[in-house]
Amino acid sequence: MARSWRNFFRKSTDEEQEKGQTVASEPASEDVEEGNGHRPVDLEPAEDVLTEDVPTAEEVQAERKEPAPEDVWGVEEALSGEVEEALPEPTPVEAESDAEAVAEAQESAGWLGRLRRGLSRSRDSFVGQLNAAVAEFRDVDDEEFWETVEEIMISSDVGVPTTAKLVAELEQESLEKNITSGTQLRELMVEHATRMLEGPVELDVSHKPTVILMVGVNGTGKTTTIGKLSRFLPGTTMFAAGDTFRAAAIEQLQTWGERTGTPVVARERGADAAAVAHEAIHAARREGTDVLLIDTAGRLHTKVNLMAELDKVQRVIRRQLPGAPHEVLMTVDATTGQNGLRQAQMFKEVAGLTGIILTKLDGTAKGGIALAIANEVGVPIKLISVGEKVEDLHPFDAREFAEALFGDL
Amino acid sequence: MFDTLGERLNKALDGVRGSGNLTEDQVKKVTREIRLALLEADVNYGVVKEFVSNVRERATGAEVSKALSPGQQVVKIVDEELANLMGGTAHKLSFASRPPTVVMLAGLNGHGKTTTAGKLALFVRKLGKNPYLVACDTYRPAAIDQLQQIGRELSVPVYTEGTGPKPEEIAERGIKEARDCGHNFVIVDTAGRQVVDMEMMEEIRRVRKASKPHSVLLVLDVVTGQNAVEVAQAFQEYADFDGMVLTKLDGDARGGAALSVVSVTGRPVKFASEGEKMGEFDYFYPDRMAGRILGMGDVLTLIEKAEQQMDQAEAEAQGKKLISGKFTFEDFLQQMQMIKKMGPISGLLGMIPGLGKQLKDVEIDDRQLGRVEAMITSMTVKERRNPKLLQNPSRARRIARGSGATQQDVQKLVKQFNEMQKMMRQMGKGGGMSRIPGLSGRR
Repeated sequence: MARSWRNFFRKSTDEEQEKGQTVASEPASEDVEEGNGHRPVDLEPAEDVLTEDVPTAEEVQAERKEPAPEDVWGVEEALSGEVEEALPEPTPVEAESDAEAVAEAQESAGWLGRLRRGLSRSRDSFVGQLNAAVAEFRDVDDEEFWETVEEIMISSDVGVPTTAKLVAELEQESLEKNITSGTQLRELMVEHATRMLEGPVELDVSHKPTVILMVGVNGTGKTTTIGKLSRFLPGTTMFAAGDTFRAAAIEQLQTWGERTGTPVVARERGADAAAVAHEAIHAARREGTDVLLIDTAGRLHTKVNLMAELDKVQRVIRRQLPGAPHEVLMTVDATTGQNGLRQAQMFKEVAGLTGIILTKLDGTAKGGIALAIANEVGVPIKLISVGEKVEDLHPFDAREFAEALFGDL
Repeated sequence: MFDTLGERLNKALDGVRGSGNLTEDQVKKVTREIRLALLEADVNYGVVKEFVSNVRERATGAEVSKALSPGQQVVKIVDEELANLMGGTAHKLSFASRPPTVVMLAGLNGHGKTTTAGKLALFVRKLGKNPYLVACDTYRPAAIDQLQQIGRELSVPVYTEGTGPKPEEIAERGIKEARDCGHNFVIVDTAGRQVVDMEMMEEIRRVRKASKPHSVLLVLDVVTGQNAVEVAQAFQEYADFDGMVLTKLDGDARGGAALSVVSVTGRPVKFASEGEKMGEFDYFYPDRMAGRILGMGDVLTLIEKAEQQMDQAEAEAQGKKLISGKFTFEDFLQQMQMIKKMGPISGLLGMIPGLGKQLKDVEIDDRQLGRVEAMITSMTVKERRNPKLLQNPSRARRIARGSGATQQDVQKLVKQFNEMQKMMRQMGKGGGMSRIPGLSGRR
């Protein structure tokens, strides 16, 4: 479900050069392998004990509430060619240093642990059912087995059409491959779901300033995510308080600005959001800011006027800074049911989404709607948030998410 | 993205019409479709299972009425069962015999508690109460600011102690303060929490204990998916809520979560919160929700009623006339009389998917309908057929006298009628609504 922040931010404008370093930027087979490459690292629980007393640079930095240091991103090095105490850059996945593997294992044990605890309450029955079904699985004609699989998916908010598609694929393939053991089948399930979920994950922050627009319906965590994300972003950041509608939304972002030491461009409540964006881009250029994060008011996708307003914000940004916004991220609450599909569809049409951020995965919701969105709307999931703390924001890892979905934690 | 249940059922039962009793095979097909529709509406899997088996039992062998297709017949059963489950009538607020009445809000993050607090305050003030808000969300940045801003907008005082003290202490002191200042309705806003966060759940238990609320409302976003059941169960355990506020109903989520929660906890939905404006808040009417979950308004009920009241061919002729713009006051009157037979007009409009929203600003009042009827019956046949004649003031004056209305009323009606004709013509060009005869609103 989560991957390391390393290589999450695409800095270079030269895509060709970048390709070698990019983790999981392309869908399809290559990705599956990389997912595999990643997994052992993340799932090694033993590591976590060993590293108890090794506070990593990442953690310390996060504690200090400052933007993470450059060496974590390999950012400056990549641009300037200077390699200081850097981790081996050229082959990041295979040649991860011990330090990083350790850091990652620790990090992931933390969030995985929390996620596992979180899900256990509701999961127990499902995992139990699935385990039982997997144990008793005999052949592909086992109707009960498929029913259990369907139930698990639907109960995770995957939705009927996507569940039907996955189950059909699975039946087909297990027939072809003549699969007889439940374990093999579970592996197959995870693989198929992973394939469905995979997409270009990393954020494009190669522009100066890079403009990231945060959109979504009310109460899904836009402002909070901006606050969290800014801590991980390389270089200098700036916030724009584009939610000029909701009471105290500006203050909320300003609080995050104080916490993270990020300047906030804001106007009074009720001001034109597009004007705020305009002013912020101006300020970001003047200050030489690397990444500008623009907050917007929560809006239901069914409100024509509000969606038109979002379109206007977009146009103003585009006119002022051609190519911007470089990322349009939509927050989706993990508790969201099938309406999430319509939300994503509409926001994609109006705002041209580049990615989804799945928030509030720390509850009982499994966030299966992400699978449905990836499948039916075709917008990749880029980040997940598994808790209220800053460190709870993670780059998305398709394989781990798929594993969590099928209770194989 | 989704077919409506009505469409699906008709597909499933294609060709079967008025054929005595529903066969087992038909019922099987139909219940499968119902199951899918409910799942797509986010009704919890377990709840769906139980519900569908109830429907199957009732539907097997049910007599198919002549007026309805078998599909419609089953939908009717589903609709009734849904309404049954959701409770038939709205739950009105009750007030403490010894004020203040204390209401505590609880729920997940981002589901709209703070906004609901403001809306509820305005709502009870309209009922003659003197509300008071207590800000116990000491976690989310600027949550207190938000409540204070809302309070200022509504001129409702807000009790805060900042983010330092424990929420349960704030609640206790806030309620005391309210009592001392003579406020008779206190709303305690709490922080959003995840149900797996045991510390936070213990906290809400303490806040509940300290505030001794007369009512605890679970605030639930209508988009909530399958886990609504777990959420509700946890809040039932820790906050023992006695009702729900369903929020963000102005979106297009079907809101199956409401059904899940009601059936699992037995706690009714009490309030419906629609939009971002403070006034968009009302008691929850369960019968309206059933149609929403099915994803088709009550359109089949409407069709059913229409079929009972008017001849299909005539209805279609009327519809054509309507959109061709050749619609006269005579037709208008006739339709009004038919519509009146079907029940309150506001209810009818709500039954049409997609239309309810469009006509939201149109004020519809059945008494007004009566006045309109009186004015039309005071017209001569010639005038009814040729509304242009009514531009003559002396005719308007005569009609006003005859119907007990004022001359302005008559002129207004004529103006509106002309506008409506224009609108219908445009709609006719757009092709929409051609199947729905005889609806008109007064703006």
